[in-house]
Amino acid sequence: MANQSFTKNVLKKTTIGIITGVILVVVAQQTHFPQIFQIMFFIYAMLGTFVFILLDAPPMKRLEGVKAVGALLVFYILLSGLYIAGASILPQFDPTIEAGKIEKVLKRRKAATEQGKADELIARAKDLNERAKAISKQLASFGGAAKVEVVEGAGAASGAASGDIVALGKEQWELQECYNCHKLFGSGGKKRGPVMDNIGNLMTPEQLKEKILYPKKWKAEGFDKQYKKGKMPDKYRDLMFDEEIDALVAFLASLKDTSVTTPKPIKMY
Amino acid sequence: MKSANYIQESNVKTLLEKMPTIFKWVSFLSVLLLPVIALAAGADTKAMSVEYRDVPGIGSRNLVWIVAQQHLLLAGFVLGVPIFGWVCEIVGWKTKEARYDKLAKEFTKLLTSAYATTALFGGILLFLLIGLYPKLMAYLTDMFFPSFLVYCLLFLAETATLYMYWYGWDYMQGNKKAFHLFLGFLLNLFAIGIMIVPNSWATFQASPVVVADGDAWTRAWMAMQNPTWWPVNIHRLIANVVLGGFIVGAYAGIRYLLAVSREEREHYDWMGYVGNFIGVFGMLPLPFAGYWLMREVYQYNQQMGITLMGGFLAWLFILQAMLIGVLFLGANYYFWMGITYRIPGSENSYKKPIMAMLVVLLLCLGVWMTPHTLVASLAEAQKMGGTHHPLLGVFGVMSAKMTVANIMILVTFMSFIMYWRAGKQETAGWAKAAKAIMNGLLAIAAIAVIVLGVWGYFVPAIIRINYFSVAQVLIVGFIMVTFTPLTALLLKSAKTTTEMVWGKMPIRAGYCLVLNAVMVILLMSLMGYARSSSRVHWHIYGVMRDTSEYAFSPALGYAAAFMSLNTFVYCLLVAFIFWVATLGDKAKAQQAQAAVADAPGGAPAMAGGAPSSGENFESGILENHK
Repeated sequence: MANQSFTKNVLKKTTIGIITGVILVVVAQQTHFPQIFQIMFFIYAMLGTFVFILLDAPPMKRLEGVKAVGALLVFYILLSGLYIAGASILPQFDPTIEAGKIEKVLKRRKAATEQGKADELIARAKDLNERAKAISKQLASFGGAAKVEVVEGAGAASGAASGDIVALGKEQWELQECYNCHKLFGSGGKKRGPVMDNIGNLMTPEQLKEKILYPKKWKAEGFDKQYKKGKMPDKYRDLMFDEEIDALVAFLASLKDTSVTTPKPIKMY
Repeated sequence: MKSANYIQESNVKTLLEKMPTIFKWVSFLSVLLLPVIALAAGADTKAMSVEYRDVPGIGSRNLVWIVAQQHLLLAGFVLGVPIFGWVCEIVGWKTKEARYDKLAKEFTKLLTSAYATTALFGGILLFLLIGLYPKLMAYLTDMFFPSFLVYCLLFLAETATLYMYWYGWDYMQGNKKAFHLFLGFLLNLFAIGIMIVPNSWATFQASPVVVADGDAWTRAWMAMQNPTWWPVNIHRLIANVVLGGFIVGAYAGIRYLLAVSREEREHYDWMGYVGNFIGVFGMLPLPFAGYWLMREVYQYNQQMGITLMGGFLAWLFILQAMLIGVLFLGANYYFWMGITYRIPGSENSYKKPIMAMLVVLLLCLGVWMTPHTLVASLAEAQKMGGTHHPLLGVFGVMSAKMTVANIMILVTFMSFIMYWRAGKQETAGWAKAAKAIMNGLLAIAAIAVIVLGVWGYFVPAIIRINYFSVAQVLIVGFIMVTFTPLTALLLKSAKTTTEMVWGKMPIRAGYCLVLNAVMVILLMSLMGYARSSSRVHWHIYGVMRDTSEYAFSPALGYAAAFMSLNTFVYCLLVAFIFWVATLGDKAKAQQAQAAVADAPGGAPAMAGGAPSSGENFESGILENHK
């Protein structure tokens, strides 16, 4: 009798559970939930059903000796299996993407330490110079304003180089995660550090560099508490290469948007 | 020099044999720490030439992962059990129920072997780290060397206290019991010290504070005081209590499943109850500690917080919610089974409240599981109208999470109160009024928690975090603090309608206890993975990059397989520790059974029930002396 009533109970609760699960899935579909959530909603309904069934379940037969140990092992394998399956069904991020990003960061660092970024730039400049000389020689043999063009070209190259530095600086802004504490172009944190959109008009490149290397030397107006707590880390002088700092400084110096109020920097010592 | 001559070779052996165990520990530690000291001396020379070494096949990271996890879990056990034991000892001392003192002693006995196993894994971990990550270890040694010395001293103090506490148990009874309890306090104090010092090294990796100026002690102290140090300390301390309680519960559960005699079943049923009670007791404040930790992570580095909660690790928190949900369900279910099987006849009067509680728990779990940002493909996000779902997106924010966490804690607490009151009829004249007040307070508290949660959506985050969330916690705390003594007072004069019967629980109660322990271990492993992955490709966040081939974070499914493996290995180790520690008991089994047979009479003092009448503290002491 007890078994019959339990079977009835299980059937009743399972039916209610499945109906609830299906309703959840349909609602999730209608409200455009991703598929993984629809599956999760169903599993969630089944978990609830299982606990409801367990509430009224009659005692199971007691196992003894090896059988009891075996049952325990099976129970653990079941739990582990469910856990691993659950974690594997969930969307997985691709570790190779992260590995690729790391490779990109490290490659630049390795290149910088092995050959030296400066050496590389000098080599490139020398190469360009040689080529320019060769072209001007060639053009001179035909006559005309070849010299002027070469000078203009050199000027353009120098402009591009400075543009590169600003772009590199922007990359440093992202890599060093400055946006966590400083708001710029309307996004980023603003509680720990000042907004930066107009910093180029308020500080010279030398002062900016000093602030990055020795944060305590400068304080932003209205940021007394943060200054006192030393919110700006002093790790960058150890963490960044000189070239990276110069690039970041160049980027910051280029920020001259007067429409955004940037707190005034105050020299502390 | 002269004294050295007296030490003949033959005497050395004798000396070693006579050498107190503590000195053996000192020698062991010295040998263990020698490489660290050597490394510290030449940190910037040889160690720097090799940044990483690998282990073929398994890989250096995986090997360190397994060993570190085992060490951490064993350490959690070694730190959690003394808290458990000490609390039991105090309860036994206050209630004069010998079985609590016996239980405390039983678990303290485990500590000696567990302590050695933990130290062994600590040693292996240290050697592996020095060998496989020399550059990182050289940096950390340079930064923290003074704290290594403090750690050694704490280790010595802990070892000495443990031996005095364990070997002096029978001697320090009667008038000397207070001193023994003081030793227990010291044991826990040093244990906390042993936990918090290495915590500073680990938290430094996530939230480093690097100070270039000052001497070695100042720099080490500044580095220790990093932003996540204390949140992790508190979180781990509470988690260790939970781990200790549930491991004891699981041990009792397994013994209950394997028990052949009625006496054994009664004893392990009772032990399972105590373990579950302490586990649940610790579990109640745990979400708040976790909340504080995450708050500090966000404060320190918003990006790290986003990586954890909204970035590539966001799904991890769905898994965490599921584990916590199952744990809450398991703990409550065990209480409900207790009402049904230990207090027969009382289940009918609690059937409806139990159903209601289960529904509330499931609904809360559903909200807890709802992520803030739904990880979706571009097409899916466009269909949904963004990464936040228009309907369920509101459940993804912290305001909703805090609310349901508080409600789940309230429900669990009420399950305990229900269990406590089952089988008793209040006779005090003021009982009706008191019960009405309690019901009213409970309703007001639940409404207030929900109102604050909903209101939290309409106020700035700073007000929600600093005031509303704190108020919710205080409300739940107030209910616990007022209901516990009030119920105790009510039941003091209550008439027992149904005697509590031990050993009648169905076998799924044993599985339930095992399930709770497995969930806690998996949770601890998962959170270890989360903390480590939140640093992304940094050994020390923002200071030292991980340039090894294992710098990336492993995917969740792969990590889950590792966590399951670690849990299994840990369970085997704990089983081995239990087996070794109880080897000598077999001869005394019959004697012990005789003592246990009388023990589970009434409701345990921890449940607030009437203390057993047949046995008092002194008789327990006699038993111990036998």
